[in-house]
Amino acid sequence: MIIKPRSKVEHGVFLVIVGLLAWAVPGAGHFLIGERKRAAIICVTIVATFALGLYVGSIGVVDPINARLWYLAQILASPLVGAIAQTTRSGDYVSYGRPFDVGQIYTSIAGLLNLLCILSAVYMAYQGRGEMIGEEEHDA
Amino acid sequence: MMPDPVGLLASFTAPIHIGTTHASLLWMFPLLAAISVIYKVTKMRVFFFGRFARDVLVLFITISLFMIGAMAALNVIVWYVTG
Repeated sequence: MIIKPRSKVEHGVFLVIVGLLAWAVPGAGHFLIGERKRAAIICVTIVATFALGLYVGSIGVVDPINARLWYLAQILASPLVGAIAQTTRSGDYVSYGRPFDVGQIYTSIAGLLNLLCILSAVYMAYQGRGEMIGEEEHDA
Repeated sequence: MMPDPVGLLASFTAPIHIGTTHASLLWMFPLLAAISVIYKVTKMRVFFFGRFARDVLVLFITISLFMIGAMAALNVIVWYVTG
């Protein structure tokens, strides 16, 4: 389904929706504007990178108290990271050393890459993708 | 056979072992691949899968070679300073 905004206000609301969706579910913003191949690649890549980071360092790498700046990067991957932070806030899941470093870097980079995807989706929507094009571009 | 979901979730509650060896540096490559994929998927104006795959491979090799070069240069500097 392609949303076709009419007025400037509706277009602004559409951009906000695209941005919020792209944050909530990696790739969803591109999906909304009809870029389904990009959406699938973004979703798989961001989720796999974040999940690999959690697997390596455990959910203890999401630490909103002692690693606040890292957490700000991590939560850009999805608001669901906030739920993980609520679990780890108690300090029951300890991680340290090289696995902690690798896990923290992976999850934070996944968040920052999703920020790039959010901006890309909003910019494409601003340019009129999903309105003028209306359908996915196909391979030659 | 289906994987045990509880066991799967439990694997995320404890870190895996990564030694402080040279082999641990290999962990940078999956991250470089992810960066290459996301950069190219957002950069391409019109999406063609064949060209996308080729561009991702070229970018991944370029970044990897730069990282290896940077590591070598830093090692030489450390060796020169401390040796």
